[in-house]
Amino acid sequence: MLADDTTGPLGQPGPAAGPAAKPKPAPSSEGGSDPAGRLGDGAQPDIWEVFRQEKDGDPMRHAGNVRAPDRDLATHYARELYARRQESVRLWIVSRLDITDLSDPDLLQPPLDRTFKKPGGYVMRDKLDAARKRAAGANDGDDGDEGGGLGASA
Amino acid sequence: MTATPERRSTRQLARPDLPRFDTEELDPPTREALSGLLLTMADDEFVLGFWDSEWTGIAPMLEEDVAFSSLAQDEIGHARLLFEMLAQLRGSDADDLAFGRTADEYRHCRLLDHPRTDWAFSVARRWLYDTADAVRLGALRRSGFVPLAQIVEKIRREETYHLMHMDVWMRRLAQGGEPRERLEVALASLWPDALSVFAPLPEEDLLIEAGILAAPMSGLADRHYEQLRGVLSSLGLTVPEPRPSSQDGRDRAKPSESFRWLWGEFTMVHRLEPGATW
Repeated sequence: MLADDTTGPLGQPGPAAGPAAKPKPAPSSEGGSDPAGRLGDGAQPDIWEVFRQEKDGDPMRHAGNVRAPDRDLATHYARELYARRQESVRLWIVSRLDITDLSDPDLLQPPLDRTFKKPGGYVMRDKLDAARKRAAGANDGDDGDEGGGLGASA
Repeated sequence: MTATPERRSTRQLARPDLPRFDTEELDPPTREALSGLLLTMADDEFVLGFWDSEWTGIAPMLEEDVAFSSLAQDEIGHARLLFEMLAQLRGSDADDLAFGRTADEYRHCRLLDHPRTDWAFSVARRWLYDTADAVRLGALRRSGFVPLAQIVEKIRREETYHLMHMDVWMRRLAQGGEPRERLEVALASLWPDALSVFAPLPEEDLLIEAGILAAPMSGLADRHYEQLRGVLSSLGLTVPEPRPSSQDGRDRAKPSESFRWLWGEFTMVHRLEPGATW
């Protein structure tokens, strides 16, 4: 494992800052260059990111990473580090070389006000209350789901 | 040295992997022959587990350290299961079998009678052993003694994975340079004992008659040798002639000084307070 782990072997918080703390080349503002780079370019081709699924149907979540010279050993190590206690039903093992890294602030943290893009701008509480009352009235003595759509979207 | 009855009953509850069985199902001579086989298997797994656990903290890479230690723990787990079955057959206690014997009473094979040595040696030894163990487990898979077939099937699932792990390491070390040289030295010094897992058992005929074991040990040794030859020659490594099993029983008796030291380590706590409940 790495000094710059974001998570420890069993999903515990790691000791140090995440990979974002590493110095990165400044994104170029000139020309049509691709703002997203290969994460593994240069430095650490022997690092494999591991994702684990805790039970069938769960999403794959990032578990941590292993250092291994090839895919075979990476698979063995991922199994021993993230599944030896039967805590996973599936692992994905991804070479860092295959990860596209996007952290350009111009794309992810633009300087202009974006609050109008967030749902928090609309006050829904009173409207929802009124809609629920209407729906409850319409459903009196009735098992149908008429009007349930509004309630369900709350 | 005797365990309390309370302790035994607690231990029974903690063994969900051991199928229930009736000891009387087997006639006494067959039971004795089976006990002999189980003891060799349990001791092999137990001793390898302790040798390989010596790498904890000092393996070549952190990941390998965790992985190799986990493999070693798996072997102790397999040994536990086999000791439990043996204890039930003999009406004794698994802990006493595992820790309560003198060093001379262990029946691990001579391949496992060497110290850890260097990484190439531990890799080569484990690969030789895991290859043999796969053959042995294969010969017990459809054992007429169904509880044994059942635990063998579970053990096999883990051992298959161990063997894959060791295959990766064999290929890596064989690539060249100093690792290859060390691997060659290790294989040369281990070779005389490579087939010792299949040292004939005194009453193996009974086991074959009873349908417990599929083939005689000598036949399994041949199968094992063919597999070793296939892998070694694919890696361009020397394939020596097979050494026939010694007739003096040395393959599974009279342990080395290295093993006596290891025995002192792994029985240390048990000897402090024999029969203690933990």
